[in-house]
Amino acid sequence: MVKTKFLIDEPGCNFVEIGVFPCSVGAMLKPAERLKSFVWSALSLTGRDRRRLETVYDQLDQAYPEGHDAWGLDLQRAKTTLEWLYPIYRRYFRVRCFGQENIPDGPCIVISNHSGQIAIDAALISVAFALEAKPPRILRPMMDRFVSAIPFVGTWAQEGGAVLGDRQNCINLLNKGQSVLVFPEGLKGITKSPKDFYRLQKFTQGFYRMALATGIPIVPLAVVGAEEFYPFVYHARSAASRLGLPALPITPHLLPLPSPVDIWIGPPITPKTSLNPESPDKEVDAEVLELENLIKEMLQKGLEQRRPFWAIS
Amino acid sequence: MADLLSYKKILITGAAGRLARLSLSLLLQRCPRLKVIGVDSRPLSPPEGLSKKEAQRLSLFQVSYTRGPFESLFRDHHFDAVLHLGRMSHTQADPLSLSQRLDLNLMGTNKILDLCLKNKIHKLLVLSTYHVYGALNDNPVFIAEEAPLRASIKYPELRDVVEMDQICTNWMWKNQNHIETLVLRPCSIIGPQMANTMTRYLKAPYAPVPVDFNPSFQFVHEEDMAHVLIEALEKLPLGVFNVASDETISLREAKIRVGQPAIPTPLSLVSPMAGLVERLWGFPRYLFDYLKFSCIVSNEALKTQLPELKFSHSIHDSLDELREVETG
Repeated sequence: MVKTKFLIDEPGCNFVEIGVFPCSVGAMLKPAERLKSFVWSALSLTGRDRRRLETVYDQLDQAYPEGHDAWGLDLQRAKTTLEWLYPIYRRYFRVRCFGQENIPDGPCIVISNHSGQIAIDAALISVAFALEAKPPRILRPMMDRFVSAIPFVGTWAQEGGAVLGDRQNCINLLNKGQSVLVFPEGLKGITKSPKDFYRLQKFTQGFYRMALATGIPIVPLAVVGAEEFYPFVYHARSAASRLGLPALPITPHLLPLPSPVDIWIGPPITPKTSLNPESPDKEVDAEVLELENLIKEMLQKGLEQRRPFWAIS
Repeated sequence: MADLLSYKKILITGAAGRLARLSLSLLLQRCPRLKVIGVDSRPLSPPEGLSKKEAQRLSLFQVSYTRGPFESLFRDHHFDAVLHLGRMSHTQADPLSLSQRLDLNLMGTNKILDLCLKNKIHKLLVLSTYHVYGALNDNPVFIAEEAPLRASIKYPELRDVVEMDQICTNWMWKNQNHIETLVLRPCSIIGPQMANTMTRYLKAPYAPVPVDFNPSFQFVHEEDMAHVLIEALEKLPLGVFNVASDETISLREAKIRVGQPAIPTPLSLVSPMAGLVERLWGFPRYLFDYLKFSCIVSNEALKTQLPELKFSHSIHDSLDELREVETG
C-alpha cells in the first residue's frame, strides 16, 4: 500500500494536505480507480476543513440569529450548501482569493464579470465571502426571475441566500444591512461563445442606481478561470427562443472542467454624491462605464497572473 | 380623524364571521356608549363573553347587502362609521357558482359604498386581502401598497377579490372630500376561531406540503387583526394599508410548528391536477401558487401611521396556539 498526497496552497498558509487515500500499486494502474479516489478525496471535508467551517458558522449564527429571513434564507440549509461547496471551491476549482481586505464591514454591492455558462461563479464568490470576508457573511446573489420559478432549484438558491433580481427587492435587502452580488452584464455575460470569453458585455445601470438610492458602496470583483469551465460550447439561440428559455448552451461535457479560479476583489467605491437615483441615463452611464473599465483592468491583471489549467496549486 | 369614543353607532358587515365577532366585542368593550349593528347574509348570533350591558348595545340583522332592508338600516340608524368585513371567500361559496360571490363581493360592496355616501358616513373601513397582489415568482420581498394587483392574471376566479379592492380604492380617491375611506390588505389571518383557507390548511392533517418550493409567509393573529381594525378606525387616515408584522416564517417550518402530519408533495407535478384537488379537498386552485411563491407585503405605511402599534402574538405563538387547539 502506498499513500498518494495532493497538495494545494491556501491563502494564509504555505501548503496543506488536501487528500490522502490508500491505494495499491495495482489500483494505481487503473485510471478509473484513481479518478474515483481523487474525486472522493476532493469532495470530502478534512478535520481542518470542519474546524474552519465551525469558526465561520459561529460567526454566521451571531450575524443571523433568527436563522431565516423574508427573502427565503435558511441559515441551516445555507450551511449545508457551504459544506458541499467548500471542497469543490478549495480542491476542484482551487480558488484563490485576493483583496479580501477590501470587503467593507457593512453592506456592499458586489459587482462582477459573469462567466461559465451556468452560475457557478456566483456560488464560488458566495463561498469566498462566507470564508474570506471578515466578518463572514452570506452574500445575496441576484438571480433571474426564471430561476425562482424552477422547482427545487429556485428554493435551494433562495435558502442559500439568492434573491430575485429586482431593483426594489435588493434595495429593501440592502437597507436591512445585507450585501448583494450583481452581475451587471446580465444573461449576456454568462452565455458567451468561446470567441467572446473574457470580453465584458455592456454593463446595465441598475446596480449603480441601487447604490445611489442607498448610499452603499460598490465593490468591484473579477473572476478569472470560470470561462474555461465549458470551453467548447455552442449556443442554440433559436431553439432557446422557441422553447421560451433564456439560453440553451450545448456542450460535450456536463460537468464543468476543473479550471483554477482566481477571485480578485477591488477597493470599495462610494457612489457619486452629485448624482441621485433619478439622474439621467447619460450621467449614470459615465460612472457605470468607469466601473466596467475598472473590472476590465482587474480581469487583465488576473489573466496575466493566472495559473496553468492543470496546475496542482 | 375622530375619537372612537365620539362615535355613537357603527355598522359591521360580515358580522357572522370570526374576525367581525372579535372586532365588535372589542368595540363594545372599549366604547361604553357605542351601539354596534352587525349584518350578514348568514345566520347570526351574539359573540360569547359579552356582558349584559354590552349585549344590549348590539343588534344583529340577517339581511343581504343588495336588498331593501339593508338600505333601511342606513336610513333608520345614523351610522358614524362602517366596517365592511363581509367578503365571501372562495371556500365559502359553491365553487361551481360564481354568482353568489359576485353578488356579495362586487354588487354588495358597490351598494355599501353608495349607501355610505348617501348617508354621509364619516369613515368607511374595507377589509381586502394580500391575495390581491398575487403569488408570482417575480414578486419582490415587501410589496408596497402601490404595487399592481396581479392576482387575477393567472386565476380569473380571483377577479372579484381584485375588483372589489379596486372599486374601493378608486371610490376612496374620488370621494376623499366627503368620506374618509380605508382599505386594509392584511396578510394571512390565523387563529383558533378563524376558518379561512390558510388556517384550515395549516390545521389540516395530511395536507400537501411542497418539497420543491418553500415560500416565506406572514401571519397575523386574529386578535391582533381585530385590534388593528379598531386602531385603524380611530387613527389611520384615508388610504390603503398592508397589515403584517415584521416576522416571516417558511411554509415548511409553519406546518412543522402546527404539528400536523403532512404529505411531502412535489407541487410542480400536482399543480396540473389542481382542478381535481379542488373538487376533492376544497383546496382552491389559486392557493397552489401561494404555496410555491412568496407574497410578502411591506408594513412600512402602517408603521409610519401607527408607530405605537404592537402585535401581541408572535408568529410562533400564533402557530403554537393552532397546535394546541388541534391537540385539545
